[in-house]
Amino acid sequence: MFGVLNAAIVQEMLSIKNSLYKLLLITLLPILSFTFLITIFGKGVATELPIVVVDKDKSEISRQLLFNIDASSTLKIAYRVQSTKEALTLVKASKAYALVIVPKNFKRDILLQMQPKVTAMLNTQYILIGKILKAALLESVLYSGAEVEYVKNLLHNQNAQESKSSLTPIALQITPFFNTYKNYFLFLIPAILPAILQIFVVIATIVSFGTLFKEGKEEEYFGNSYIKTKIIGKLLPYTLAYFILGVAYLLYIYGTLGWIFEGSLAITIFGMLLMIIAYQGLALLFFVSGFDYARSLSLGAVYTAPAFAFLGVTFPESSMNGFATFWREVLPISHYVQLQISQANYGGDIYLDINKLLVLAAFSLVYIPVFMRFSKRLSS
Amino acid sequence: MKFLDVFALELKAIFTDVAIVLTIIGGVILYGFLYPQPYAKESVSALSVSMVDLDKSELSREISFNLNATPQVELVRNDMSLKDAQDALVRGEIKAIVVIPAHFSRDVILGVTPTIAVGADSSYFLIYGAVLEGAMKSVLTQSAKIKIASLLKSQTPLSEAKLAYTPYTLESINLFNKDNSYTQYVIPAVFVLILHQTMLIGLGILGGGVNESPKRRQELQNAASYQIIVSRLIIFGSIFFVHMLFYFGFTFETFSITHIGSIYNILSFGVLFIFTTLMFGIFLGTLFSTREIATPVVLFSSMPLIFSIGFIWPLEAIPAFIQELSYLVPVTPAIQGFLRLNQMGASFDTILDSYMLLSIQAAFYTLLAFGGLWFRKAKRRP
Repeated sequence: MFGVLNAAIVQEMLSIKNSLYKLLLITLLPILSFTFLITIFGKGVATELPIVVVDKDKSEISRQLLFNIDASSTLKIAYRVQSTKEALTLVKASKAYALVIVPKNFKRDILLQMQPKVTAMLNTQYILIGKILKAALLESVLYSGAEVEYVKNLLHNQNAQESKSSLTPIALQITPFFNTYKNYFLFLIPAILPAILQIFVVIATIVSFGTLFKEGKEEEYFGNSYIKTKIIGKLLPYTLAYFILGVAYLLYIYGTLGWIFEGSLAITIFGMLLMIIAYQGLALLFFVSGFDYARSLSLGAVYTAPAFAFLGVTFPESSMNGFATFWREVLPISHYVQLQISQANYGGDIYLDINKLLVLAAFSLVYIPVFMRFSKRLSS
Repeated sequence: MKFLDVFALELKAIFTDVAIVLTIIGGVILYGFLYPQPYAKESVSALSVSMVDLDKSELSREISFNLNATPQVELVRNDMSLKDAQDALVRGEIKAIVVIPAHFSRDVILGVTPTIAVGADSSYFLIYGAVLEGAMKSVLTQSAKIKIASLLKSQTPLSEAKLAYTPYTLESINLFNKDNSYTQYVIPAVFVLILHQTMLIGLGILGGGVNESPKRRQELQNAASYQIIVSRLIIFGSIFFVHMLFYFGFTFETFSITHIGSIYNILSFGVLFIFTTLMFGIFLGTLFSTREIATPVVLFSSMPLIFSIGFIWPLEAIPAFIQELSYLVPVTPAIQGFLRLNQMGASFDTILDSYMLLSIQAAFYTLLAFGGLWFRKAKRRP
């Protein structure tokens, strides 16, 4: 039996060597996709987002406020216009993400203690950008306001120390746990890369079996004996290739880039292996539904393409509806990404993560119907 | 060959191919159902938080009461130490921790400015943002109350004391997508991507099918390129025109997604988008040597495309060469244009840049589609 397995592995490796397409599927294409996304999020933080301002006061206080806004690393005053209407057009044209209006008589109202309002209109169509903008604007405005008040307090004959502490009786210290870098790279990339990997695993598996059946060589290949062993042997070169790619991206993010991996890399890597095996089984399940190459590719696409949205990384799992939580459960990647986050960020307890590994392993049950369908098809 | 004969052949080839039908009809419906699912419940529910109160004063209890009252946060645990709370966090029982330090109340009275620490699980940014917003609100309110109280002690009248705690305020208004809804954020863009990708896959399978099948090649031997192209434009165009109405009309209505663009603008921009994408797809079809190449190629491009269009991650932070590459693909100006027209209510002249880019692409891919078909034909001749 090991002879059969060995032969099947060698045969598949030869077929990869002879097919540029199969070779690209396990090398250049996934590597290019990884690199492309890593480059998009390379900066990790958004800086110099263009905004438009309308200064209806033009006093030294309003100028100081706008100066502080412009000085924020996140924001850049790209346009200064006279009317709100003009400013809105710039926002609608996506040339500016927000519009800040300093009202008329701003300085006078401050001196009269009438607490004027600075208005910021944000383009919240882009939620993430909107959140970044809002936080940066709030910070600049609070800071500028504190500056004004500090000067005012000093004028009222208080000493500098007292004047400072009366500004903020309670301070708020905000600590992001885990992804302590507050960097969008580390927040999105560890989920995007496995989402790309699962697409490649499913496609390559279907390509490997699909081409065999399309060429009508399946009977010649499988014969009548050791069908299961030959299927496994045909899968193994891809399992290994994607496993190496998966480990490589983990090592790249947590090794080369120097982000800290808190927990056990070994457990995560084991989970990755189980995920790849699970997706290979699922790909075969799509394939045996009709042994049709093109059609099973379409099924694989529907199953893998929307997976990223269900991971719970961009939108919390606890806020998903019944169907979404169910669909999430039947995607191996959601269990794997949970494991990866738990190990990488929390240094999670191994006993707590064992159930994630068990679920990933349980996906291998799909091989039972797959083997049955193959035997039936080949014996008929 | 007569045009009607070519048309009939193409119609037959498309509708007898299960993979094409599965993609351009089944796929469009399935994706349209699947993608909105994660966000269907809409609001982000309250997140579980643990309070570590090391002060146990009246003031600290008031803060924890206020915190619990904010909609974003629900206090589910009271821990005696930071260690206990952190363990609960790792077990996934809570998503954030608020620590009120010892001697908190005393320090406030002494005017020393004690610090409340808030730690949130930033592995998931929405969770992080929601906890921060809740904590900020309640602590700032508390802070303001204390300030007013101390101003009152120094005999400032209440109305003035209330106003004086900050010289001016920031009023922020959400211009579009006012409730920060995820459905409103993701769906209008992703639907355009689905239409784009399914058009390309369908035409790619069709084109690859001609290239690999001697029978199909024989059939189209005497057909002129323009007859093939016009047939495909009519068949795919009418199917995807209906899909577009279904997505932007029916599903937007069902999920109550904003649609403030005028019908005339949406349709004229939409027709240009469909035309350009179909030409791009016909061209791609001439490149594929088998039916099965299209699905993987288009599928692999989806993730890189969606993240380089600028609605998730700002264009300003994306390297220029990636932006330039993405301008080769019709979906980029299409999403940028549709979002501005339909979600932000931009006028037609505001999206002229997207319209121009799509038009240039349309001309470019029309040439390439003719060129590709001509090249394939020339190659077949002995």
